[in-house]
Amino acid sequence: MSLLRVENLHRHLGEGDTRVHALRGVSFTIEPGRTYAIAGHSGSGKSTLLYLLGLLDIPDEGRIWVGDRETSRLTDDERTATRNAHMGFVFQFHFLLKEFTALENVMLPMRKLGRLSEDAMRAKAADLLTAVGLADKTRRLGTQLSGGEQQRVAIARALANDPSLILADEPTGNLDHANADRVFALLSDIAHQRGQALLMVSHNPELAARCDQVFRMQDGVILA
Amino acid sequence: MRPNLLIALRFLGARKRAMLMSLTGIVFGVAFFVITQAQTAGFESYFIKTILGVNGMVRIEDRIQSTRTLEAGAGSGFAIAVEGSVKYIPGVQFPNKIVDALKAFPEVTAASPVIRGNATLIANFREYDTKPYGIDLATFVAVSDLETQIIDGSLKTFGENPYGLIVGVRIARRMNLQVGDSVLLDSVGEPQRFRVAALFETGIDQVDRERVYLHLPAIRTLLNKPAGASFIQLNLQDQNAAPAMAARIEQTIAHSTMPWQEREKTWLQVFSVLRISSALTISTIIFISGLGMFNTLVMIVVDKTREIAILRSMGYTREDISRIFMLQGGIVVAVGVVLGCGAAALGTYALSHIPIRIRGIFASDHFVVLWDPWHYVAAAVIATMVVLVASYFPARRAARLEPGSIIRGSSS
Ligand SMILES: Nc1ncnc2c1ncn2[C@@H]1O[C@H](COP(=O)(O)OP(=O)(O)O)[C@@H](O)[C@H]1O
Ligand SMILES: [Mg+2]
Repeated sequence: MSLLRVENLHRHLGEGDTRVHALRGVSFTIEPGRTYAIAGHSGSGKSTLLYLLGLLDIPDEGRIWVGDRETSRLTDDERTATRNAHMGFVFQFHFLLKEFTALENVMLPMRKLGRLSEDAMRAKAADLLTAVGLADKTRRLGTQLSGGEQQRVAIARALANDPSLILADEPTGNLDHANADRVFALLSDIAHQRGQALLMVSHNPELAARCDQVFRMQDGVILA
Repeated sequence: MRPNLLIALRFLGARKRAMLMSLTGIVFGVAFFVITQAQTAGFESYFIKTILGVNGMVRIEDRIQSTRTLEAGAGSGFAIAVEGSVKYIPGVQFPNKIVDALKAFPEVTAASPVIRGNATLIANFREYDTKPYGIDLATFVAVSDLETQIIDGSLKTFGENPYGLIVGVRIARRMNLQVGDSVLLDSVGEPQRFRVAALFETGIDQVDRERVYLHLPAIRTLLNKPAGASFIQLNLQDQNAAPAMAARIEQTIAHSTMPWQEREKTWLQVFSVLRISSALTISTIIFISGLGMFNTLVMIVVDKTREIAILRSMGYTREDISRIFMLQGGIVVAVGVVLGCGAAALGTYALSHIPIRIRGIFASDHFVVLWDPWHYVAAAVIATMVVLVASYFPARRAARLEPGSIIRGSSS
């Protein structure tokens, strides 16, 4: 069974004169344990597609299956619970909560899921930060970390509940070349190691090419 | 710790200064609310205690005579008064019979007949208009606080002298009277000699300025009134039961019977208006703090829009977000109420030790306060309601944010 399947997605954005047909019938399938890139020019609809897949937005037309569950009739709370248990997000901007330490940021999704004890959450968050190379900076606040370090904390946070799918929207877009390379390598290695699927939006063709499969987008459709 | 509470605490920390301002406002509001209530209620209850000590809980006064009665069946002995045909005959004609009849009411702990009149007091070549009260000392002390009102001389001396006199302190001052002085009282043109046995002070100006107490037999000769009484003053087990008791007694003995609540209606209303208006005034402090709190929470929502979006993306529901903001209000109001109640208790204690000389409607040499847990409950309820409303709208706004559009808005 596929991890995620979408069929004929359409999405309009904006109102009146600025209304744009951002997605014009997108269909594809994501299998567990593989890495995917969505490549394409700015404005081609990559982010719009990613938010739909992440159940952060609702398509005007078309359907999305997570596992064997069709999502169009899910309530907001059910979508939120699905995100919590099955998806991890990494955005271009890291969005760390600045009143929380790196470790506490990573623990936030676990606290919501509520499956682990406080000690187990702490240990797991420390392990994840070690995996992204921040073992010695777990007690730092977001403001005390560099951009690349913050993005690595965000990756650790995305992995917190062992999601089956990691969704990343230009996770390296804000980083210099060396850091971009490092963050990408980290994401794809972890995904492969843990058998998690990775779907990454990137307009960096070099990084995109290192994924198992690349979807090329243009004007709201995926090119064959 | 619950994640929502943890996040609420950290968000609060982000606006520490503004929140401390709101907190301070709530602390002061709650404290002032309780203190002003303790004080107004204190004065009110002290006034009631004073007035009961002077004029008693219930007075049986005029006899009610129905001018027309319907016989409810021949010889049944029941008569029903017809409305509008009632006549009041001043005074109590047979006080002893009524005192006997009152024994059927176990709630009545004491009853004392009193004769009231007018007389001129003559001493040191001066004259002064007084209202003499003829009392039966043994029972009158049970329906009043006369014992504690004595400030000079003694009730014992009064009791031993059939022509003893207890004089209001203001009369004594005006007439320059001392205990032991001999004075004349004149009501019907035959002055009689009395000896001042004691001075009393109630704190109620009017009483201290015009009342003198003498023995019942003495006033009968003074006023030339050989029988009857002006009224019978009663004491009850429960002062709050006075209106109900008065109604029952009135029915049984056919004399107009007035409870203290009705007699002192004017003053009681003044006190309750005072209490309500001070509650309203002080509540504005709490309202303004609530407004400040609303502002701060709105700022936090704006500040934390991205954080809210990311929390939503990682699995926090709309309800979680709403709770995070309601909790921020809840934490501030909880701390504010606890500190405010503590400050109120300290303030009330301090206030009760501030010396202030009050005479007029009662006598006190310091602020009078009433310790009443309901004042604390009321302040807590008002503060909680205000803050709940102040938190509700920012919380709803935060919960309604669409994570997708926020994240889209902040990426390229
Ligand atoms: N809020 C919006 N209102 C109107 N149009 C929008 C809005 N957000 C994005 N768009 C348009 O939708 C299209 C797709 O945007 P997006 O998915 O962000 O592209 P990408 O991520 O590939 O750069 C673009 O043409 C963009 O201008
Ligand atoms: Mg984009």
